[in-house]
Amino acid sequence: MSKSLLLLPILFLAGACTKKNEITTDGTIVTTIGMIADVTREIAGDKQEVINLIGESIDPHTHKPLKSEVDRIQKAGLVLYNGLLLEGKMGTLLNSRKEKGNPVVAVAEGLKDVELIGDGNHPDPHLWMDISLWSKVAEKIGAELKSYDSDNSDHYAQRLAEYRKKLSDLHTHALMVFPTIPAEQRVLVTAHDAFSYLGRAYGIEVRGIQGISTESEAGTKDINDLVDYLVEKEIPAIFIESSLSDKSVKAVIEGAAQKGHPVRIGGELFSDAMGKLGTYEGTYIGMMDHNITTIVNGLGGTAPKNGFQGKLND
Amino acid sequence: MTLELLRETLFLEKHNTRLVVLGVAFLGATAGLIGSFLLLRKQSLLGDALSHATLPGIGIAFAVMSWMGLSGRSLPGLLIGATITGLLGVILVLAIRRSTRLKDDAAMGIVLSVFFGLGIAILKMVEKIPGQSAAGLDSFIYGKTASMVWSDFFLIAGTLAVTTVITVLILKELTLLCFDSNFASTEGWSTLGLDIILMALVTAVTVVGLQAVGLILIIAFLITPPTAARFWTNRLGYMLVLSTVIGAISGWIGASISALYSNLPAGAIIVITAALIFLLSMIFGTARGVLPRYLRHRKLQKKVGRQHILRSTYEILENTQDSPPLKNLPIPMELLRKHRYWAKGELPKLIRQARAEDHVERQPTGELRLSESGFGEASRITRNHRLWELYLIKHADIAPSHVDRDADMVEHLLGAEIVHQLEAALELAKSTIESPHLIESR
Amino acid sequence: MRPEHPPEFPLAVHDLTVAYHRKPVLWDVELNIPEGTLAGIVGPNGAGKSTLLKACLDLIPKTSGEALIYGKPYEEQRDLIAYVPQRESVDWDFPVSALDVVAMGTYRKLGWFKRIGRTQKNQAREALEKVGIDHLADRQISQLSGGQQQRVFLARALVQDAQIYFMDEPFAAVDAATEQAIIKLLQTLNAQGKTILCVHHDLATVSRYFDHLVLLNMRVVASGPTSETFTRENLHKTYGGKLNLLDDVAHTLKNIGR
Repeated sequence: MSKSLLLLPILFLAGACTKKNEITTDGTIVTTIGMIADVTREIAGDKQEVINLIGESIDPHTHKPLKSEVDRIQKAGLVLYNGLLLEGKMGTLLNSRKEKGNPVVAVAEGLKDVELIGDGNHPDPHLWMDISLWSKVAEKIGAELKSYDSDNSDHYAQRLAEYRKKLSDLHTHALMVFPTIPAEQRVLVTAHDAFSYLGRAYGIEVRGIQGISTESEAGTKDINDLVDYLVEKEIPAIFIESSLSDKSVKAVIEGAAQKGHPVRIGGELFSDAMGKLGTYEGTYIGMMDHNITTIVNGLGGTAPKNGFQGKLND
Repeated sequence: MTLELLRETLFLEKHNTRLVVLGVAFLGATAGLIGSFLLLRKQSLLGDALSHATLPGIGIAFAVMSWMGLSGRSLPGLLIGATITGLLGVILVLAIRRSTRLKDDAAMGIVLSVFFGLGIAILKMVEKIPGQSAAGLDSFIYGKTASMVWSDFFLIAGTLAVTTVITVLILKELTLLCFDSNFASTEGWSTLGLDIILMALVTAVTVVGLQAVGLILIIAFLITPPTAARFWTNRLGYMLVLSTVIGAISGWIGASISALYSNLPAGAIIVITAALIFLLSMIFGTARGVLPRYLRHRKLQKKVGRQHILRSTYEILENTQDSPPLKNLPIPMELLRKHRYWAKGELPKLIRQARAEDHVERQPTGELRLSESGFGEASRITRNHRLWELYLIKHADIAPSHVDRDADMVEHLLGAEIVHQLEAALELAKSTIESPHLIESR
Repeated sequence: MRPEHPPEFPLAVHDLTVAYHRKPVLWDVELNIPEGTLAGIVGPNGAGKSTLLKACLDLIPKTSGEALIYGKPYEEQRDLIAYVPQRESVDWDFPVSALDVVAMGTYRKLGWFKRIGRTQKNQAREALEKVGIDHLADRQISQLSGGQQQRVFLARALVQDAQIYFMDEPFAAVDAATEQAIIKLLQTLNAQGKTILCVHHDLATVSRYFDHLVLLNMRVVASGPTSETFTRENLHKTYGGKLNLLDDVAHTLKNIGR
């Protein structure tokens, strides 16, 4: 009886070893955030299956991968993620895949001629807020697709070019509407520091209640400072984010109201996640279009209510 | 951190600071108050289990409300869900206790961890519900203390008021419940009813605190202030007040520090403050702290040692002289050393002590001699000691040969007042008495 | 009302069975304690003595049977009864004074929400005086000796001015002086006509203390006046085969002149 018991662990180990060798890729492309997924789908067209892990209204800074998501990453043919510590809790998983030589690419890292905001150790990862920057990321994604699937190289090249044209149009649109905000009101206050790149690209000051990562909790001083700032600058509106609780925003509004300066909620922005899948706002272009329109109108500027292509819902 | 900022924070000049500091202080006070009863009832862990059990309720409430087409994040709905699963957890603990052989702490531990794990899992799952933003649901765990709004504060103040009123009303009933629940039961008090009231108050504090400061902080608030308070007093009333105050102060200090420096989350600082206060209480608490106990012990040892050396000297004088009155002669050190047990290094130390008090003098010959005041003192101490020996023999069934050991210990607790009583009781005229048993050199 | 348990008995127990998790602790207990006796309940460890008291007082659920106080259930007769629990059933580290504990005996008459006042405190002090520790009234109970703690419990029972006293091991682990004081007090109460029921552990003092005796080992082996009940044969039936011990006891019995 005891002899056969000894066999059990041996069999188990043998089984485990064989299992490892059987894992092959299933040819999917896995992305972490919607912004990357959307761009990848636009470029790939129907040639590739793209699976996105972190969906709408979910915060990528604090998202811990589920087992199903880990499996997806293990089986993927190509993994595209943002990098710059955006996917805070997935770092170990992604790095370990990379070290084993699998194609796992941080699309926001290592771009040429791109100046990152923030200090060396904690750069701001929210590159998609600057459409021109995200266009460069699209270029990198295109290059990855080409090397992953060289047969369809031309297809990708063409679609990339078309997509980048659309991005360029949106970028130009933004450059035009942002200046319509009265100069003294050009301040964007949101729940966390996700919009710095947008601020730099389109000439607007940005402040967040929490820092770059939502893992940190806002302190009382942070809230007080922001209230003072809002009151001092007489900023009329502050914005909530779809992937974060609006509690801190409410506290700031109450504080400002107490000081005799009513601040309203200018709207909900898409910061770390896009809108509902299947809607216009569920695409990268739609997301940014929504953000631009909401911010500009919320702060007293004029932007067409239906966005730059007329596709936004009211 | 400027002086102006300090003044602003201390005087609660900013609205948000005011809300957060007062809100957290009130919450700490409430938790400290009701937590004391939990501690006395030896159910701190049950309170812990209840708090942890509220978590799945939030996720489930969110899911149910979403399914019903309402906004998943409606606060009253979430809090009702929290209350339901919290109470369910408590009922489960009681059920496990009754129907299985598991002990209390095992039952509570199981419920606590299972419900908490379930809560985290459910919160993860509801993220996937399409169309509803589950964003921020996990702030129920860590809290968004600095983002307190007026409605939070209102709720907290209300809970403090209700808890205080109820506690004052049924103070004696709760005390009886915590001290001797069997007696309470025979006297007709419904121990179940009182336990339910206690748990209901704990639930209220937990649920109210959940959405303001988060689960972890509430749990700390329920346990740390009462245990800290216990070190300072042996009186129930004082303990309750102190626990309330410590809870309030932890909240006040923690929230204020968060208002003085950037990037300091209020919740964490408050827990640290409470823990520090506990540590200080454990070390310095006047009733049961480690340091006061140690100092009291040392003081007693010193007193005992002092009396030993004086009495020994006196007894040696008696032994070496035959006829009264006793003359204050020098005695050789060897006799003193052999007279009774001295711990290592104790005798020289005691001699030094006695010399510092001017009770003994060292002779050039190396012998020891009592000073005038020392002689008087030694005589008094010896007399007290023998009084006690006599008393014990007359009034208790203790064989004479055991008296000396007992008398040594008890004598030092007597003091002058009892001595007078003894003298009166035994009608003494003499200033010294013979020891009722042979004083042999040991 | 059963004919064997007429209502004039302070305690009448009929067919009482108590079981924990299917293990019976008391089995078919039949018992009448006559008015005005100082009764002792003795038996080996685990015989169910404490359980018997607790079941009569509704502290633990009865699996079957009943216990009646002067013919009525316990809930209706609380005013007539005082209970002294085992000393270790309570954590003596609790932050209250001796006076506080004794005053707890007055809570019931006070009722809900009312605080104790001078009357109650005086009653408590008197009771402490009767047990000889009024000088310890303000002492924290953790600083009391075992005997003093037992006296506090007794004082608490005294304050209730009851007709029947249920006591669980009042003599356990107390010093000789306290034991003397307690038995004297019980005898005084008994002389006033009160009925007293004690769970007791020390066979050597049974015949000296109690005029009525119950020998219990899950079942009632014998019960009745001590002189008739405290026999070698009954002890053998109660305690089983520890003959040497019983020989000693029998010897002691002979010497005391039974």
